[in-house]
Amino acid sequence: MTVLEADCAVVGAGPAGLAAARAAVAAGARSVLVFDRDDAPGGLPRFCRHPGFGWEYSRRLETGPSFARRLLGDLDPARVALHCGATVMSLQPGPCLEVLSPALGLATVRCRGVVLATGIRERPRAARLVPGRRPERGILTTGQLQQMVARGVTVPGSRLAVVGSEHVAFSVLLTARHSGHRVVAMIEAEERPMSYAAVAALARALAGVPTHLAARVVDIAGGGCVEAVEIEQAGRRRTIACDAVVFAGDFVPDVPLARAASLAIGRATQGPEVDQLGRTSLAGVFAAGNVLRAVESSGFAAIEGARVGAAAAAYAAGRIGWRDGATPIALAPQFAYLVPQLWAFDDGGVAALPASLRAGQDLAAARIGLRHDGSLLWQGRKRRLLRHRRLRVDLGELARRGPGAIAVEAGSWRAISEG
Amino acid sequence: MTGERYDVAIIGAGVVGCAIAREFSRYRLRAILIEALSDLGGGASKGNSAILSTGSDTPIGSLECRLVTRGHERYRAEAPGLGLPILSVGSLTVAWNEAEAAALARMHAEIASAGFRSAELVDREAVYRRVPALAPGAVAAVWEPEEAIVDPFSTPYAYALDAVVNGVAFRASSPVTAALHDGEAWHLATPQGPVAAGLVVNCGGLWGDRVDALAGFADFTIRPRRGEFLVFDKSARQLLDVVLKPVPTPQYRGVLAAPTVFGNVLVGPTAEDVDDPDDWRVTGAGLDRLRRAARAMLPALLEHEVTATYCGLRPASERPEYRIVARPDRRWITVGGIRSTGLSGALGIAEHVAGLAFDGMLPAERKAETIPVRVPSLLEGGARPWMDAARLAADPAYGEIVCHCEGVSLGEIRDALASPLPPRSLKALRRRTRAMFGRCQGFFCGARVLAELERHARRAGRAAQ
Ligand SMILES: Cc1cc2nc3c(=O)[nH]c(=O)nc-3n(C[C@H](O)[C@H](O)[C@H](O)COP(=O)(O)OP(=O)(O)OC[C@H]3O[C@@H](n4cnc5c(N)ncnc54)[C@H](O)[C@@H]3O)c2cc1C
Ligand SMILES: Cc1cc2nc3c(=O)[nH]c(=O)nc-3n(C[C@H](O)[C@H](O)[C@H](O)COP(=O)(O)OP(=O)(O)OC[C@H]3O[C@@H](n4cnc5c(N)ncnc54)[C@H](O)[C@@H]3O)c2cc1C
Repeated sequence: MTVLEADCAVVGAGPAGLAAARAAVAAGARSVLVFDRDDAPGGLPRFCRHPGFGWEYSRRLETGPSFARRLLGDLDPARVALHCGATVMSLQPGPCLEVLSPALGLATVRCRGVVLATGIRERPRAARLVPGRRPERGILTTGQLQQMVARGVTVPGSRLAVVGSEHVAFSVLLTARHSGHRVVAMIEAEERPMSYAAVAALARALAGVPTHLAARVVDIAGGGCVEAVEIEQAGRRRTIACDAVVFAGDFVPDVPLARAASLAIGRATQGPEVDQLGRTSLAGVFAAGNVLRAVESSGFAAIEGARVGAAAAAYAAGRIGWRDGATPIALAPQFAYLVPQLWAFDDGGVAALPASLRAGQDLAAARIGLRHDGSLLWQGRKRRLLRHRRLRVDLGELARRGPGAIAVEAGSWRAISEG
Repeated sequence: MTGERYDVAIIGAGVVGCAIAREFSRYRLRAILIEALSDLGGGASKGNSAILSTGSDTPIGSLECRLVTRGHERYRAEAPGLGLPILSVGSLTVAWNEAEAAALARMHAEIASAGFRSAELVDREAVYRRVPALAPGAVAAVWEPEEAIVDPFSTPYAYALDAVVNGVAFRASSPVTAALHDGEAWHLATPQGPVAAGLVVNCGGLWGDRVDALAGFADFTIRPRRGEFLVFDKSARQLLDVVLKPVPTPQYRGVLAAPTVFGNVLVGPTAEDVDDPDDWRVTGAGLDRLRRAARAMLPALLEHEVTATYCGLRPASERPEYRIVARPDRRWITVGGIRSTGLSGALGIAEHVAGLAFDGMLPAERKAETIPVRVPSLLEGGARPWMDAARLAADPAYGEIVCHCEGVSLGEIRDALASPLPPRSLKALRRRTRAMFGRCQGFFCGARVLAELERHARRAGRAAQ
């Protein structure tokens, strides 16, 4: 059996994994192996041929493939070996990876630090318990649709109905323009579109797509191919003829590898629980990017990758240890989740992940506060706090503190200032 | 009408027709298996609970009971040779109150005296020892260690492949639309041309009454009974390692929870009479009912993602029994009403039907030798080609995983497409390999799997020209 050794190994060559590989080298890793199970690197963005990628990372708004190319171009071929068509089959303590690829066969990989950057997927129709028939063709997710278009696979018919109005639903609009399909309906269960209102308005103006809010799919018709969806809106039913139904958004981290390795998985995030350096519950195993939670932008995922890649290199070189005295960050019930979930006061000067904080409900005139042993380190004010949107909280001040209890609070201005 | 002349034509490649075709392939006969759909196993046989039952849950003393018992016995003896997995997980029929416990005790006494000796009445503690995640409130159970779970898709495929490799002709996309007897033979009309056969075996499943009607017989009517299912993510498999059943009533066996050989947990089926044998709809009400049933049995299941929903249609008739009718004078055998045990009973049914045919309708000349056939095992955690270093070295395509959730390689997809019985639709390819059957349902792999299928179709098209 082939045995490979390196300072660091990265699982997944999406934005997070590629940025991690680059940062690990910059932080002193002598050798980095990157594995991706797909036949080419780039992760999800490589199939999204429209602008909107990478902003937070590179301060440019690029198309998905061009952002992926930039990240690839940043890699030093002398230090980073990229293996595509290479599936990481298992992750064991050590850490040690079992990798399968046509080129390597079944290989064992030994390294000091592993970065899991396995990303996300959309929940398909079945997981959303959408009733109706199950035609062989035309029940899709955005990711599958985009990959079909990018790979030149026939997408049946011409009319798409899109279920969901998260940011990614608008990605369908752009892909549809490109592939010669028409979006005939956007169907959203919530009362408002989940993406930024401006994007939604733009999409309507661009494409003139009828949007059905507070609506749900109650039936899908069709034998071999999809023929129609039936929706229910305020007790009224209506049938929309279409050739495919695209289930958009509703992302979940793709964690079978992490689960099989018994990594602690967050209940709210469904991704591996990490401290501020991306350290998981298994020594030597880091995680970065959207595998941590669904979902942030590709640029944000790349920033996470860069921070965690540097931390992995520091760990490989013995400059930091493993989560000594890691303290869970207590979250007010108004929040859905915060990544990182833990703070370890042994950072060795390595920069922390940017916080990824989400509210579980809409709040007006909200205040967010960070406390350390009762004292307020940081606070921010938000006129409106909307579910599904990232909230700012600056955890940086914690790096200057010693061990202590940490809490992120929410409330009205008065509640926090009196507290 | 003329056409190719066969000794026997089997109409319908469900699990029953495929098993019968395999049975006839052991004899010196010209046999043909005719299927309306583009692939075998696309009718009632595509959506069931995948349980190899012992027969104890069928009416004691009935033909069904006898054939399921025999089918079970044969499956255990013959399936391993075909490469088909059997997981003998056993079943627990659980009583949740005193009234059910009394019914359970009666059921146990009845099946024990009918010869199902391994069935055992067990107490509450034993139940929770086997299923710690079971909802509180169980009173007692019957433990049947011989009940097993099997691969419902590979089973008819293995039977049909065995039949075809051993000389049976297979014609897909050929609905039989007329049947005429000219005194010598039956002449069956299909869009692909006529077929003449000395004997016809109607295994039309959900359409069995309509096939019989073509020949002028009207012994029974099919009353399709829909059963819906929820399939939970593989992460749920740790919760359940046995089949959990409710105490049955004479009308309905109830919603069960069972592990699958693919590593998931399924919950189902519902039971609802429908008019249309083509009504493969999963309903909101059915899914709600299944979630309630899941919560009542194994509350922790609901914390896991649902990977798939599906439904099956039982080819039930107006009487709760198998409708197997031989008409020696008309050279026609009807194998109808194989409602909810056909997967378990198929090999027993096949033997029985062959017996009827050889009782004066066909000569029984057994072949000296048969060519052995094996299908790839799709058992979760079972041996896959990439695990075999020599195979992987000889053929790197086994190292290129395409469907990640189910771990299916390009090599395995290519092999399935190259079979003597190639899948002719996406659903058929999914049933043969499990590609796109996993939790992502095609998000990661759908485009590549479709690309392979399209490439194969283009190549086949060129070869045909
Ligand atoms: C349709 C769609 C539209 C989007 N539109 C936008 C947009 O407009 N702007 C934006 O900023 N973001 C967008 N996103 C989100 C963006 O693509 C992701 O946030 C980003 O790709 C996340 O990066 P990542 O590196 O965490 O994961 P991914 O890009 O998902 O990369 C994960 C990689 O890991 C590999 N992998 C997984 N498991 C294994 C294994 N076991 N072995 C080997 N390799 C493995 C996968 O093959 C994949 O290449 C969109 C996403 C989708 C699906
Ligand atoms: C919800 C549910 C749960 C079940 N659970 C179990 C279980 O756990 N264990 C078990 O043993 N059994 C189970 N069963 C029962 C089992 O699935 C059926 O008994 C079995 O599949 C019946 O097979 P068949 O071959 O008779 O019918 P089918 O599979 O319907 O096959 C009939 C075939 O005939 C073809 N056909 C019809 N008309 C024509 C024509 N005119 N010309 C050519 N071809 C034609 C059809 O296309 C079809 O392929 C279950 C069934 C259901 C619905």
